[in-house]
Amino acid sequence: MSVMQTPSADIADLIARCALRDRAAFRILYERTSAKLFGVTLRILKDRSEAEEAIQEVYVKIWQRADRYVAGNTSPISWLVAVARNHSLDILRARRPPADDIDVALEIPDSGPTPERATEDSQERGRIEHCLGTLEPDRADAVRGAYLDGYSYEELASRHAVPLNTMRTWLRRSLIRLKDCLSA
Amino acid sequence: MSMSDDSSSDYAGRNALVAEYVLGLLSAAEHERVGRLIEDDQALRAERDFWVNRFAALNSEYEETPVPSHIYAAIEARAFGDLVKPRPVQSLWNSLMVWRGIAAGALAVAVAAVGFNLMQPAPDVGALTTQLVAALEEEGSNVKFVALYDGSGNVRLTALSGEAVPDKDFELWAIQGDNAPISMGVIPVNERSAVTISPEVMAGWGEGSVLAITLEQAGGSPDGNPHGPIVAKGAVTKI
Repeated sequence: MSVMQTPSADIADLIARCALRDRAAFRILYERTSAKLFGVTLRILKDRSEAEEAIQEVYVKIWQRADRYVAGNTSPISWLVAVARNHSLDILRARRPPADDIDVALEIPDSGPTPERATEDSQERGRIEHCLGTLEPDRADAVRGAYLDGYSYEELASRHAVPLNTMRTWLRRSLIRLKDCLSA
Repeated sequence: MSMSDDSSSDYAGRNALVAEYVLGLLSAAEHERVGRLIEDDQALRAERDFWVNRFAALNSEYEETPVPSHIYAAIEARAFGDLVKPRPVQSLWNSLMVWRGIAAGALAVAVAAVGFNLMQPAPDVGALTTQLVAALEEEGSNVKFVALYDGSGNVRLTALSGEAVPDKDFELWAIQGDNAPISMGVIPVNERSAVTISPEVMAGWGEGSVLAITLEQAGGSPDGNPHGPIVAKGAVTKI
């Protein structure tokens, strides 16, 4: 059974059992989700042997950190994809030369956004597509490239043939507009 | 660098740092700094979860690709590495007949224990309607317990087999739905014991709850989360 056919509650249950060191549950979780997570490491790392190495590290992390999954904040499959995506990005980031660091203060919202509730990917898909559609097409592409392919500002600037600072401005403004649209 | 690009027009005073963090656009040093700020602030964590959940809608674009079959063995070796040790009596323990025999034995004892329990005077009339039993065991482990709930707020445990481990303790956990396991405390081996159900466990207590026993450091898990291997577990069933 693939991840697309496995109910979210079952994945959450398997993660909970992994937190209790249940090896049989780990194997089932792997069987149901590894093809999806391999798709993530492959797309971001763009190298098969690196992606195979990364998928091993990803599942070791999942086994070790299963107790950190908080049901209700994120859907279980989104959490697993985030572990795979973040691990792949860590690998890329470690390779990049240190950038000129932006040293901005983090805006702390007075009244924070309503606490997040886990949502099924499919429910939200229409919404993010709609909001990306309100951006200029090349800026929406840049946001997608950053999320799906893990492109850096430098890579995005060169792919879109614009100066680095222009790309930063595009992205930041796009993200602020996306936030407004997604929260509406 | 300055934020002058964004300080004009209606974007003044706002930034997209958490979204940039989630997208992975920050440099290694900045990523780590922002990550720590987020961990320490509840509103920022909510903002991070907002972006993780919204962008997750794009995850369907990641194409499922089967992982070569030899990879899983490598993952198990790395994940379980320190726990997997050859057992001197492996062939015996792996024998299906032995496990079937033990499982049947555990159930028989469970039924006997229930029978015995029913002969005791019930604390009140309602108690008889909420009797629950669980047989706790796990493949690869010789620790077996029977747990019995008689409606009085206590779980009675009877150890069927298993030896104490030097410098370690067995800890009992309640798993209810998708919630994190809740510790019910350290339990003795080789003797009967009773564990009082805390209000937290009682809130979700009933048929379908799972009881599990893990091997933890002496005195039990220090942080309220299980760390050791599961040595026995079983679902609670109405009788």
